[in-house]
Amino acid sequence: MSIQSDDFTAKLMDDMDARLLDFIKTKVNSFIKWDLVRFFYENPNTTDSVENIAKYAGRNTAAVQSELKQLVESGVMEMQLVDDLPVYSLASDEEMRRLVDEFILACEDRHFRVKAVYHIIRGMR
Amino acid sequence: MQQRVTTGIKGLDEMLHGGFLPQTANLIEGATGTGKTTLCMQFIYNGITQYNEPGLIITFEEFPQQYYRDAATFGWDLKKLEQEGKLKIIMTSPEVTKLDLERVGGMIETLVTEMGARRILIDSLSHLERLSSDPVELRAIEYSFINALKREGLTSVLTRESPALLGGAEINDENVAFIVDSYILMRYVEIESAIHRALLVLKLRGSDHAKDIRQYEITSQGIKVQAKFEGQEGIMSGSPRRMAESFVEAFVKR
Repeated sequence: MSIQSDDFTAKLMDDMDARLLDFIKTKVNSFIKWDLVRFFYENPNTTDSVENIAKYAGRNTAAVQSELKQLVESGVMEMQLVDDLPVYSLASDEEMRRLVDEFILACEDRHFRVKAVYHIIRGMR
Repeated sequence: MQQRVTTGIKGLDEMLHGGFLPQTANLIEGATGTGKTTLCMQFIYNGITQYNEPGLIITFEEFPQQYYRDAATFGWDLKKLEQEGKLKIIMTSPEVTKLDLERVGGMIETLVTEMGARRILIDSLSHLERLSSDPVELRAIEYSFINALKREGLTSVLTRESPALLGGAEINDENVAFIVDSYILMRYVEIESAIHRALLVLKLRGSDHAKDIRQYEITSQGIKVQAKFEGQEGIMSGSPRRMAESFVEAFVKR
C-alpha cells in the first residue's frame, strides 16, 4: 500500500468524535481492555479480584492483570486494597462513566466498530 | 405487635404472620428453577417500590445483566431503580465480600450509609462453602458473615441451592439452618404425573408462622403463593400420596 493511501485510510478512520478517538488510542487500546470495558459497562457495580474478573471475562489471569493495571492508570478503572487484596471496579468518576457509556453505545454502529478495530490493531504494531 | 419487614408477596406474608423480623437473616432454599432468586428479587423490588426501603443485591455467580433481564420479564425495571439510587446490584466474590464486611468503612457499609439500604439479597450463600472445607471454620465464617449484615441494620434474604430436583434433598451444610432466623424451603413435587411447586416455612425464630405447605406459581408478576395442598401427604418428599391411600396402607393392609 502506498504512503498516500495509508494516509487516506488513517484520515477516514480518524473520522469519529475526538474524545472517543482519544479514548480508544489511549485507554481502550487492546481487545482485552475492550472486553473488560464492555463487561463493566454491562455489569457496572462489579467489584472483584483479578482472578475472578478473569473468570467472568473468560480470559486467563495473567493477561487480564496487566490490562486492568493499565485501565487503572488511565483512569477507566479503580483499584483499592481490601485487606491487602487488590480489588478492581469501574471508575466512579461520572465523566469517565459517561465516556465508557458513549464508547459502548457507539460500538453498536458497525462503521464505528471497524474504525475502533483499526486503531487498536494499529496501536498494537 | 412485632414490627415486620413485609415481603409484599401476599401468601408468603400470611405464612410469615406479617413478614420477616427486622435485621434478620432469612434462608431461601430450593433446587434450580424453583424461583429462589425471583422470590428474593421480589422482596427487594417490593421493598423499594412499596415500602421505600432501598436494597442491595450481591451476586456471586450470575451477572447483574441477567438480573436486569430476568426482572424485566416481571415488569421490574431494576436499571431505573439503580439510576434513582435505590438499588445496587454488585457482582463480587465471597472472599471479597467477607473481607469487605470485616473492615471498617467497607463498600457495603458505605452503601448502607449513602443509600439508606434496608434490605439485601445474597445470591447465593452456597458459594461461601468454597471459603473453607472445614465445617467448623465454615460455620464461623457464615455466622460472622450473617452477623455483619445484621450489624449494618439489613434484613437479608440468602439463597441456597439444593442439589436434588425432586424429593427430600440432603442437607449438605446443616449449620446454616441453625444460624439463620428463618428457613423457607421451595420444592418441586410430583402429583398425578404433573410437577407442582411447594413452599414451606420451616422456621421463623421469635415468631409463630404457618406450618402448612403451600402451592406457588411463578407468574408474569412474580411469585404467587396459593392455597395449601389438600388431601396429600409426603409433599416435601417430592412424591406425595393421597391421605386416604396412606390411611389404607397404615391401617387396613395390616
